[in-house]
Amino acid sequence: MHTLAMNSTEHTLWVWALIIGLIVLVAVAALLSLLIYLVQIIDRRVVTVRDTLKAAKANTADTVLIPQVAAGVDAVLAEGLQHHLFLGRVLGKVKS
Amino acid sequence: MTVLVVLTVLEIVVLIAALAFYLFWVGTLLARIATNLEECAEIVRAIVADAALIGPGAGHINETGGVVAGALPLLYGMAEEIVTDVTPRPEAPAEPEPARPASGTRRSRLLHAVGFSPDLSRTNGGASPRDRRPPTADPLRPSQLLR
Repeated sequence: MHTLAMNSTEHTLWVWALIIGLIVLVAVAALLSLLIYLVQIIDRRVVTVRDTLKAAKANTADTVLIPQVAAGVDAVLAEGLQHHLFLGRVLGKVKS
Repeated sequence: MTVLVVLTVLEIVVLIAALAFYLFWVGTLLARIATNLEECAEIVRAIVADAALIGPGAGHINETGGVVAGALPLLYGMAEEIVTDVTPRPEAPAEPEPARPASGTRRSRLLHAVGFSPDLSRTNGGASPRDRRPPTADPLRPSQLLR
């Protein structure tokens, strides 16, 4: 194994590099912790949005009845026309 | 020298381990968020499909309901006309009777006290059944009362 000779300046610079690296490590950990915190908030909000959308879907699930109601109203109109024809015939006979 | 090398290697290892740990954590959270967002997108598509029925259906109902609402007065007008034509009317009396008060004529105790009974047969005089007795054979006269 070879031993490398290192003067005091290089030693000091290496120590400073280690200290700066440690500071960077702590800063990276802090920033990543902040990122995790924000992502967790996003996760909770997305779950809230999903639950709200589920409730909205349940509220709009009965809109398939609207065309059926429209068909029923059409039937009412057709029946009303039949009544109109019947009353027209009866009214003509009564007046005569 | 050796201590510095060991510390350097240890710092690099810790940095890499921290990065790996946080990235794994973030990756897990983002994967869960992506799953939830995909579910949200499916729900939104379903809501859009449900809401697409509202507009045309409501317009159809509104149009047909307007026609029905406009035709109903015509129907009940015809029905009223039929009822008016088929209902028998009471015949009008030949000689209309004079108007009399519904309460009848009030009886007077003063007249009854002196034995005078007016003819209230037409209106019954408003008298109670007790007063409908036939008049006495010899009604009192005022001269008898003064005696």
